[in-house]
Amino acid sequence: MKCARCLLRLQGLGSVVPSARTANRYAYLLQSTTAPVLTKPLVAFNSHGEASRHFHGSSAWAKSSPPSSDLKEKEKEIDKSLLSRDELFERVARNAKTKAAFDKAIEAFTKRDRRRRGHVEFIYAALQKMVEFGVERDLAVYNRLLDVFPKEVFVPRNFIQRMFNHYPRQQECAVQLLEQMENHGIMPNVDTKVLLVQIFGEKSHPMRKYQRLMYWFPRFKHVNPFPVPRLLPSDPVDLARLGLTRIANDLDAKVTVYQMPYTDITETGEEITLPHIVGTQSPDQVELLAKHDPSRPVFVEGPFPLWLRNVCVHYYVLRADPLPPGEKVEEPYDPERSLYYPLELSLELERDMGDLGDDFDVEDLDEGPVFAMCMTGQGDQATLNQWISGLQEANAVLGRVPTLFRLDAGPRELQSPAGESHRPHPPPETDPCVPGDEGGAGPARQEVDVTLEEEPQHSRGVKQ
Amino acid sequence: MSLSRIARHPRAGLLGCIHQQLFLNPSSLPGGADTRPMSRVPYRRPGEPKDNRPPWKKIKFDFAKGVEGVGRQMMLLKKELLDPLVGPEGKPMLEHMLEQNRVVWEFRGPECLEQWSVSSDREIGGQSEAYLKLGRNDNTCLLYGSLNAAPPRDGETRYSGYCTLRSKQRLCSFDRKTHFDWTSFNTLHLRVRGDGRPWMINLAPENYFSHQKDDIYSYFLYTRGGPYWQDVKIPFSKFFLGHRGRIQDDQHHLWLDKINTIGFTLGDKVDGPFQLEIDFIGVCKDYAHTEEFAYEKYKRNPEV
Repeated sequence: MKCARCLLRLQGLGSVVPSARTANRYAYLLQSTTAPVLTKPLVAFNSHGEASRHFHGSSAWAKSSPPSSDLKEKEKEIDKSLLSRDELFERVARNAKTKAAFDKAIEAFTKRDRRRRGHVEFIYAALQKMVEFGVERDLAVYNRLLDVFPKEVFVPRNFIQRMFNHYPRQQECAVQLLEQMENHGIMPNVDTKVLLVQIFGEKSHPMRKYQRLMYWFPRFKHVNPFPVPRLLPSDPVDLARLGLTRIANDLDAKVTVYQMPYTDITETGEEITLPHIVGTQSPDQVELLAKHDPSRPVFVEGPFPLWLRNVCVHYYVLRADPLPPGEKVEEPYDPERSLYYPLELSLELERDMGDLGDDFDVEDLDEGPVFAMCMTGQGDQATLNQWISGLQEANAVLGRVPTLFRLDAGPRELQSPAGESHRPHPPPETDPCVPGDEGGAGPARQEVDVTLEEEPQHSRGVKQ
Repeated sequence: MSLSRIARHPRAGLLGCIHQQLFLNPSSLPGGADTRPMSRVPYRRPGEPKDNRPPWKKIKFDFAKGVEGVGRQMMLLKKELLDPLVGPEGKPMLEHMLEQNRVVWEFRGPECLEQWSVSSDREIGGQSEAYLKLGRNDNTCLLYGSLNAAPPRDGETRYSGYCTLRSKQRLCSFDRKTHFDWTSFNTLHLRVRGDGRPWMINLAPENYFSHQKDDIYSYFLYTRGGPYWQDVKIPFSKFFLGHRGRIQDDQHHLWLDKINTIGFTLGDKVDGPFQLEIDFIGVCKDYAHTEEFAYEKYKRNPEV
């Protein structure tokens, strides 16, 4: 209790400390110029005690600076040294922003001054530059940064120091470094621990932070039931394959590449780029589609977004409207579908007089069956038509079913809240009828662009 | 008293995802949203002047509002008085005792959206947007918008980028607080459809001390994406305690007798549009699950 209150009070005091330090610097200058009497109270002001050991003030100044030098000049010099911390990185970055360059900047800083003056500012600057240099997910770099702290200086040596927040500014800096590690999902290792013990001691705040990371990170490491690899494939076809296997929700689903992307130059010199078309369909979906009543249309809808870590891909869905309630037929299970165990059990299990069952009392949402999904590089009707004709090989019924396209122009933008603003409607695609490419497969497929007939707003966004 | 208690008041949010759940200004919301409850102190952005108006000036006196309110309160009072005659929570005793599952929130009409409030980091100066509306057939709820993790340029805020949906405090007659009592259940059951982004589910229990008012129990909700609905069952034992975005050192399991609100937060630091569709939120009893708490609760030696 007592310790806690002291710590709180010191939090407030921590903000005073830096100013006390600078005051000390000036005290040295003043000492050389004016009266030596001034130093005494100022040293007493140094809240950490041990003025001699931690006095980073200005041994260099005391040696080099002529006594006549002005305070203002000194201030300029300090400013310059502050600037150079950022500058260190900028100078290094002129060639290439790589890990090697980052390391070089750290090395330059550590070599420059044995006392590591201004290391807190340097570390803060480095933390900000990390993303720029692309090293934000590199544990070794974090450890090197921690290594910049001078060792054993900030370790509390007696119980009073341990009780108070010893060197709060440095501890805060280290905590922020660990926090950045946490934000990028990097788990510290034993080297980090050894460094922290060397720098701040066993029971410091950074050490606590380290312990928290080590406790919680392994716990939540594998909680995601739908993991996404850290490095996503750069090839769009592979990416589409990954996304489709994820959303298919069926291990039997088969991913088919209907068209590989390639660029071709025609005789006239025109460049034709054919987008990739990757689709997926599971045996269940094939079965559903085979049972589909050919007089009812099927719809190609999309694009719908799917996020894989930080990449957004869009997919299209082939689906039908739900059957009207009167036409639904409950099909009995075929007992020969599984010879190992019964697929249906009708036992009279009156367990309790008030047994309410395990089902939630909500109406089922019937949104109609989904027959297939695809991803393509170019979401226009011609490309999707190609997908449908590719699907026809496995699903002959598609030749007889009218296919309607309900497409949105391009990747879906943020839908405006209804009634607030009316965005101009994107121009509908202008070719309402693309000739069916499979001639003779039943009546010619009827393609109607129903974009206009739907609601004028893009509120269709999520009806899937 | 331990250090961990002190660590409860950090300067800025750490775990970006369980940022403070705050409410958006009413002006920036499409219908169905309202302001923050009176009991919560609003977030004051750095540099913003303090609101020094006396409390009585903030109250809107309106005769029409009063008349409308009396009718509603009387209905609530009637229900409150008559329900115990049937049984607990207006259900027969037997049904109450043998209840296996309960649908707490479902979205079957526009009036259901009034139980929810949406907010985003707009309130702290960020640029995310979040909106709530009914889904395609008016029987789901769709939370959509876009996330932007750029922190506000006020020199103090370090992290930004969250969007949240939070249920409103349940009130009984005369605007007294009531709570959900889920002690006979052990699992949260949701049916959702997302777009592959990870969300966080936050349960806020009622606490006694005022310094615990921001205590929130959280767990993750991972969405698969795609056109299929996803049934998610999360045992209450998995929820861990956090306070103002920081996971706490001394954990305790969630007490289910007084649950105030449930919230969904997105804060995965990826800029872009998002959507989450919720069919219903319920609680159920899973007899196969016996765990009380998934994390260590022992007293550490030495205490931190």
